[in-house]
Amino acid sequence: MEKLTSPYKWGMVVDLDRCTGCGACVVACQAENNVAICEKREIAEGRNMHWLRIERFWVGEYPDVRVRFLPVLCQHCHDAPCEPVCPVYASYHNPDGLNGQVYNRCVGTRYCGNNCPYAVRVFNFYDHEHSWPPPLNNQLSPDITVRSRGVMEKCSFCIQRIRRAKEEAKAEQRLIKDGEVQPACAQTCPAEALVFGNTADPASRVSRLSRSPRRFRLLEHLGTHPSIYYLKGGGREHV
Amino acid sequence: MNRRTFLQLSGMTAAGAALAGCKSANEKLIPYLIPPDEGVTPGMANYYASSCRSCPAGCGILVRMSEGRAKKIEGNPEHPVNRGKLCGRGQAALQELYHPDRVPQPLKRSGPRGSGEFTKITWEEGLDLFAGKLKSLKQEKAADRLALLTPELRGTLAKLTAGFMRSFGSPHHIRYELLGTDWLRAANRQSFGQTSLPYYDVAESRYLLSFGADFVESHLSPVHYGHAFGRMRQGRDTVRGHFTYVGGRLSLTAASADRWLPARPGSEGALALGMARLILAESLFDKTALAANGLSAENLLQQLKAYDLPRVSEETGLAQKSIAEVAREFATTHPSLAMAGETIAFQNNGQESARAVLFLNVLMGNLNRPGGVYPDGGATDGPTTSFGDLLSFVKKMSGEEIRVALIHGDPVHTIPSTTGFQEALTKVPFIISFSSLMDDTAMQADLILPDHAALESWGDVIPLAGTRDGAIGLMQPVVTPVFDTRQFPEVLMTAAHELGGEMKAAFPYESYLDMLKAGMRKHVGLASGKDFEATWVDLLRQGGLFKTNSNQAKSYRWAAGASVPEPAKPRFYGNEKEFPLHLSIYPSTAFYDGRGAPLPWLQQLPDPMTTVVWDSWVEINPKTAADLGINFGDLVEVTSPQGSLRLPVVIYPGIRPDMVAIPMGQGHRDMGRYARGRGANPLQLLALTTEGTKPQPAWNATRVRIKRISDKGELVTAGHPQGSYRSDLIEI
Amino acid sequence: MSELSSQQQKTPPAVVKSASQLNDEMLSSMRPPTLRWYLLAFVLGAVVAWGMYAFIYQVMTGMNVTGKNRPVMWGFYITGFVFWVGLSHSGTMVSAILRLTQANWRRPILRAAEAMTVFTITVAALFPFIHLGRNWVVTYFLPLPNQRGLWPNFRSPLLWDITAITAYLIGSSLFLYLGMIPDLSVVRDRASGWRRKLYAVLAMGWRGTAREWVVYHKASTLMAALIIPVAVSVHSIVAWDFAVTVVPGWHSTIFPPYFVIGAILSGVAAVITLMIVVRKVFNLEDYLTPMHFDNMGKLLLVISLLWAYAYFVEVNITWYAHEPIEWEVFSFMADRYAPLLLLMLFGNAVLPITVLCFKKLRRSIGAMLAVSLLINVCMFIERFLIIVPSLSRKNMPFIWHNYAPSWVEISVNIAAVAGFALLYTFFAKYFPIMAVTDVRELEVRQARVPLGRAELPSIAGKE
Repeated sequence: MEKLTSPYKWGMVVDLDRCTGCGACVVACQAENNVAICEKREIAEGRNMHWLRIERFWVGEYPDVRVRFLPVLCQHCHDAPCEPVCPVYASYHNPDGLNGQVYNRCVGTRYCGNNCPYAVRVFNFYDHEHSWPPPLNNQLSPDITVRSRGVMEKCSFCIQRIRRAKEEAKAEQRLIKDGEVQPACAQTCPAEALVFGNTADPASRVSRLSRSPRRFRLLEHLGTHPSIYYLKGGGREHV
Repeated sequence: MNRRTFLQLSGMTAAGAALAGCKSANEKLIPYLIPPDEGVTPGMANYYASSCRSCPAGCGILVRMSEGRAKKIEGNPEHPVNRGKLCGRGQAALQELYHPDRVPQPLKRSGPRGSGEFTKITWEEGLDLFAGKLKSLKQEKAADRLALLTPELRGTLAKLTAGFMRSFGSPHHIRYELLGTDWLRAANRQSFGQTSLPYYDVAESRYLLSFGADFVESHLSPVHYGHAFGRMRQGRDTVRGHFTYVGGRLSLTAASADRWLPARPGSEGALALGMARLILAESLFDKTALAANGLSAENLLQQLKAYDLPRVSEETGLAQKSIAEVAREFATTHPSLAMAGETIAFQNNGQESARAVLFLNVLMGNLNRPGGVYPDGGATDGPTTSFGDLLSFVKKMSGEEIRVALIHGDPVHTIPSTTGFQEALTKVPFIISFSSLMDDTAMQADLILPDHAALESWGDVIPLAGTRDGAIGLMQPVVTPVFDTRQFPEVLMTAAHELGGEMKAAFPYESYLDMLKAGMRKHVGLASGKDFEATWVDLLRQGGLFKTNSNQAKSYRWAAGASVPEPAKPRFYGNEKEFPLHLSIYPSTAFYDGRGAPLPWLQQLPDPMTTVVWDSWVEINPKTAADLGINFGDLVEVTSPQGSLRLPVVIYPGIRPDMVAIPMGQGHRDMGRYARGRGANPLQLLALTTEGTKPQPAWNATRVRIKRISDKGELVTAGHPQGSYRSDLIEI
Repeated sequence: MSELSSQQQKTPPAVVKSASQLNDEMLSSMRPPTLRWYLLAFVLGAVVAWGMYAFIYQVMTGMNVTGKNRPVMWGFYITGFVFWVGLSHSGTMVSAILRLTQANWRRPILRAAEAMTVFTITVAALFPFIHLGRNWVVTYFLPLPNQRGLWPNFRSPLLWDITAITAYLIGSSLFLYLGMIPDLSVVRDRASGWRRKLYAVLAMGWRGTAREWVVYHKASTLMAALIIPVAVSVHSIVAWDFAVTVVPGWHSTIFPPYFVIGAILSGVAAVITLMIVVRKVFNLEDYLTPMHFDNMGKLLLVISLLWAYAYFVEVNITWYAHEPIEWEVFSFMADRYAPLLLLMLFGNAVLPITVLCFKKLRRSIGAMLAVSLLINVCMFIERFLIIVPSLSRKNMPFIWHNYAPSWVEISVNIAAVAGFALLYTFFAKYFPIMAVTDVRELEVRQARVPLGRAELPSIAGKE
């Protein structure tokens, strides 16, 4: 458990009753974070580079069949299993409560990837330099590294946006307001299923929503204390 | 990005960044010593407002620009349709701009048609060739031998193309889209005497009953309705809206439903009338509403007496109990809302079925009230090409009555071959395509004059639907053109000016931008003589005009003399014995009608329902698959009376055992390295269903059979096939 | 263990060998290399070169040339790593423990076992380097002072690995070297040219005085006592690489003892195999007798029983607790890898336990070779079955994925075997593979000293 030295403790709420599974968040994340383009063979090998995935489950049998969508991204656990196992501190916990990944420190042991129970860490098995044939590479964001091969990566809650917001707030000598910083996924979600904000502020939208009676966290029994609360969705059987 | 930053947009619009590409005479060259990109600081980003063109919804977007390059697209918080949200297709439009396989400059065919062999030529040559063809037609007094094919157009572009063809003297302007909404307009015309599309107030509804309306992925305005759906569920303190979906296939939209009624294809209209009858019989209808619409319950009950529960249950294949339950729920939860979508429309009884569904709204007093349905303030009904007109045009082409075809869009891919379109097109001696990628249509062209990408273009984007008050979105170029391309309307206008006379007079503008501005000036209602520039900059900064005086009707009322809907018995093409399965084709979430296929982000995006990537597939019910000895990922042959295709199989629990489904959008011959030769185009399987003498686009009325070929389907899914059934392991 | 003398007298018919003849025989491996030797070295070298090519190809291209994916991010390399660390327990068990228990039958086997430890742990230490995504920044692992004040993370089991393996490498090398000093002096005396100089330096001027022998014995005993906890900790630490994670099927408290037992099993089996090979190649039948194999077999039997018990505990608790995801992992393994699982149970438990109960079979070289080779193959399988199925069926079922090793991974593992064999071949050629002085020491201890007309047992036998 880290000491609260920062006024921010970023967290997210994913409302599964709102999520329609459309996948806009996945594309937005890829666009924002220079996530590599992976072709069919790479994905067949289990090496897709998406930071955010929508898990789709079938429950039941025709005609009483239901679908459950579960957006899974880095949970930014407060007791992250990926942090103690990295031999070089490439995976670390920052004062804002985020789990950070330092690309240029990563040696590529992939221990963190194994120990993440949510399997949200993806490894650059390939050299993705050629992933963006010109002029596609013009789209790459200058605010975020293009990762080399041999390096682990994962969702950072769009830390580059948080940094930018912090700079602006600092210039104006104030704190970041609720809703001012949105990761790409939360910003684009049509149904507003993803809500991001400062859980250290009890009045923020994310704090209010994380007090919902529908809340749960993924793989709670592992004691990872994720920063993401999911709100149970579904019809009658979930009431 | 928040309001504050948005309002801090620099005074410069993107027009500055587009300086080099602009041909306007009044732009000055900035002196050498001052960096040409005024207002651009390295490392600092600017946001420019524009509009999305990735589907007819026309959402507003903000494009984040860094050092003259487009980096990220977000929704425009000011735009009434999407309010800052954006779907995956909109996000991926960046890749359309920077696609490595864009047609870089005009091309002239050098090999046989369809070979894909072209030589690069200059714009001068291309425009000469184009104008030359037009001139020769004019000279030979054969103006009506010119045809222009586009998708459904709105706004200034619609005006321009109409003006172009009219001043040239040709009636052959085909405005056709496979996924067009004229069936819905036609249904509304018949029922309500007006051709507006419906605006559904989903957010305030408490019971949503969708008959095949896939509003999450494609119907009318996906982002708007996706947002509204979120609010319907959890946007109100103590109310959670209920959602029931009717349709043979559990679509992405249906996946969010609380209840799924897998009705037999073509029976949805009967189902709606069965529910209507029950509602009337049990006096659950809204008496005031019925009276206000000039209807009498006794009359209606009499006219609907054939739709008793046992009969409807038999027709739909649904249990009587389920039908009655849903009908009662719909009738006793206020406000409720019934929607009719493409899945039911593309049957031979599609239009009447849609009317039957919308009739439920009349019964329950859902018209013109919060949580109900209003006329949409979006695009007014422009002249579109009916299906019948399309077929007669195809005949004309076959009869060699068309000599020059100008094509914008990809009809070779999106018009089912059963219409004979592709074959007839070969009879046209000269085809000009304006595609920016080598799509199936461009492959057949003799001359390609590549259009700008959306992010390089000027224009107005009128949302198809999704707004009660009208809105006009503006599109502005955010980058200097990446390749040597020109905007389609600009090319037409240049040719018109070149041809002189009536054509030139029809376009008293220096450029398309001027025409656009003139149009906007009218919309804003600015008197001539007053300076428009400041207003124009404001409009660009905002992203458009977001409250127009739409001349749509403001309310619905059952038209006097409108008949009670009576959907005909569904008819399918292909006899049941030889072709035991119904084929349902649908626009895939990622590719829509195929326009998204060249974009790698969208190919890489796992399909939300099947999690397939980089491919096409056919969905089969597990039991049907087991009976046929087919396993997940097997290669099968799908055969209709029209032809056959080979596709890998996805075992899909959410589909009727007598149905299979194939998404559209893949199967392009080229269209860049990411789409080339990938998957298959199911439109070639569709047959033309006719009822009497009137041809119909009944695209979901084809029957097929399936045969296993091998286990080499080479299907790749993001989700583990068995793991996808194990949600119990993570306790969700 | 007076049995030894009677056995020694039983085997070759009453021919008493002279000292130099004994030395010759025991040091026969150090004769000038024959063509056969060169051929062997060449072939092994070629295989190692192929493995190096595969590795370099991987470094230049990327980890995509392996079979790894998400979620199976560790595969054949870590399997190899754990396997080789396990083999390194050979020397410790045989040499150290037998030294401490004063089991005389250890003497001919000592050197081979100790050398095996050093070389296997060397090979093992290569794997953590090989499996890195960015091998070229491996120095980040080391606590080197830098401007950014960055320090490696000692909470990570991988750092414990580095520490433990380094300690073990140093310790076992010292252990080997220390024990070799008297032998090196023997070899020095018989050598000429550059070799003589080399051995002279290495022998550190050993003269064989009584004082030196006393110190030598004390040191050896101390080293033996110290190396055992290091060995146990090394493999426990490697076990903790898995046990401290949240991966289902890895998170088990029995892993450290289970791994150590498995290591001893594979180590002892490997020593037996090596003994058989060395015995055949260097004609050491007089020194490595069926009695030795008999005793090693008894040791192996005990370890195999222990291993079987540990495995039973593992499976039993998984079944009893029936934690859904753990049971999923086990079911998956028993389904997809059923043939491997059955072979493993047969090779590690069923076969050894039945065969090694019979003295006749224990004394049969053929039987022992078969059993020990199979154990080692099955121990590799066992490591694989621990590592891969758990990752393949990790907590989130949506991203389950299977794993198959690629030619690169297989090549590197085969090259590891060849590399070990090559190192061993060189060692046997240039260093005494038989613990000459130890064997001769026994002879001295158990000799009968003529005193006048009587023969008395030597008092050297009393420690």
